[in-house]
Amino acid sequence: MAVIKVPEPRGVIDPNRPVNALLKAQIEHLHEAERALPLKYRSEIYIRAIQTEGEAAEYIQEITEAIHAAHFEAEEKRRRGAAKRRGKPVISIAAVADERAERIARNRAAAKKSQKKSPNTKKSKN
Amino acid sequence: MAAGLDQLEHIVVLMMENRSFDHMLGSLKAVDSRIDGITPHDNYSNPDTNGNAVKPQALAEFQAQLQPDPDHHFPAVDLQIFGGDTSANRAANMQGFVKSYFNQQRDVNHSQKIMYYFKQEDLPVLTNLALEFAVFNRWFASIPGPTICNRAFAHYGTSFGRVDMNPVYLKEPYQSVYSRLINAKHTAKIYYYDTASSTMEVANLLENQPQLFGTYPQFLQDCKSGNLPEYSFIEPNFNDHGQEAASDQHPDHDVQAGENFIASIYMAIKGNAQLWESTALLIVYDEHGGIYDHVVPPACTPDFKSASTNDTGTNMEFKFDRLGVRVPAILVSPWIAKGTIVNRVFDHASIPRTISKFFLGDFSACSPRELSADVFIEAKGQNVDPARNLLSLDTMRNDCPDFE
Repeated sequence: MAVIKVPEPRGVIDPNRPVNALLKAQIEHLHEAERALPLKYRSEIYIRAIQTEGEAAEYIQEITEAIHAAHFEAEEKRRRGAAKRRGKPVISIAAVADERAERIARNRAAAKKSQKKSPNTKKSKN
Repeated sequence: MAAGLDQLEHIVVLMMENRSFDHMLGSLKAVDSRIDGITPHDNYSNPDTNGNAVKPQALAEFQAQLQPDPDHHFPAVDLQIFGGDTSANRAANMQGFVKSYFNQQRDVNHSQKIMYYFKQEDLPVLTNLALEFAVFNRWFASIPGPTICNRAFAHYGTSFGRVDMNPVYLKEPYQSVYSRLINAKHTAKIYYYDTASSTMEVANLLENQPQLFGTYPQFLQDCKSGNLPEYSFIEPNFNDHGQEAASDQHPDHDVQAGENFIASIYMAIKGNAQLWESTALLIVYDEHGGIYDHVVPPACTPDFKSASTNDTGTNMEFKFDRLGVRVPAILVSPWIAKGTIVNRVFDHASIPRTISKFFLGDFSACSPRELSADVFIEAKGQNVDPARNLLSLDTMRNDCPDFE
């Protein structure tokens, strides 16, 4: 069996590379999705100011996680409602939901903190 | 007997970004003349804006060569395919690639770089997989246009009349291949790289069915633990962030990072013996990214919607009745004979067509384009045509390469 060596990439990771047309389109689509999110899940990132891949990645991550979190919250609410109607205890499910919500909030706070430290990050009110 | 098909339980599709067949695999013609690539002795060329013939040359570089990103929106691809002829009876000639790239920077020397292709040794992963397994000589983008509408064909078998980057699919009549499978109690997942790269399928799938999605680390874990769904679609990393290099190979992202990514997907499957014998991996590119290819895209069955002259930006309506530019496509399985060359015509509509027929049987609620698309894996059963079955070996190979 042949073992083929794959060279390590020689390119430099460059979060300051200007966004290409594909990433611009992805940002637009996520921005459309963001408009449908409950207010508490919306970002404070002004997408017209996004110029680099690093900035794009930050926004993409925030909205992608927000979409997942909003769906997760709705599902938990649905489950809790169904369990309540059946008269079953819901404490454990609620605890898991709260734990996840707390984790998301923690991650967001940490991300915002690191953004403040980064000189390349541009943020403004949407 | 079709032992490979009988064993097959999982199909994985990895869709990379924006490279043409000649650009990535053209050099392999020198190794195997059945591969429809390019050699220095061929007469293929494109005129530059001074009227000089520019030949393809094996001078492609991993990064920093195709800046700005070559135009691959509908009007630019029309120029690339038809050489600038807009008459009613025009014929495709693949003579407008250099002209199109010149339009972006007005630099004759720079415009010639659109004809460059990689040497075989530059791309050890892609070229070895092509030579070891099945390479498709005639896999085309679904539309002569950009990413999102082409990727839509891989998910839905149609782009619902779109030739651009703005998907509006919600009230459309055809289900995604994932919904089809899940509604029929099968399993399917889209693995994006991570949440900072996310997916190009935001407008319908991520917004409405986020449970369909997993990440690249989860894919690796699912391979290891034997929990891969029946159908997996993998999206590479679309941007540089943190310590993660973009691995999609979209110009101007590092082509070698993409090579590493492809190798990691292959090795993740191969690393689990049970999974390896029951999985087929398709590696395919969404579209050519404005980069030269010499094969004229063929006509195809028109789709159920047309794009208006406004939508195309060319003063011509588009009926989805011809394919986009040819792209690299390779099918990997230990049941495929080394050096298999496939000459039948495919496009991305072949992906949902194949998945639906293989897992669901005779599924007909799909677009005219998908209904007429060929399958790259035959359905299981008694009547498998040996001439069409690519997983044709009676016994599984044990000589498939490893990458490290």
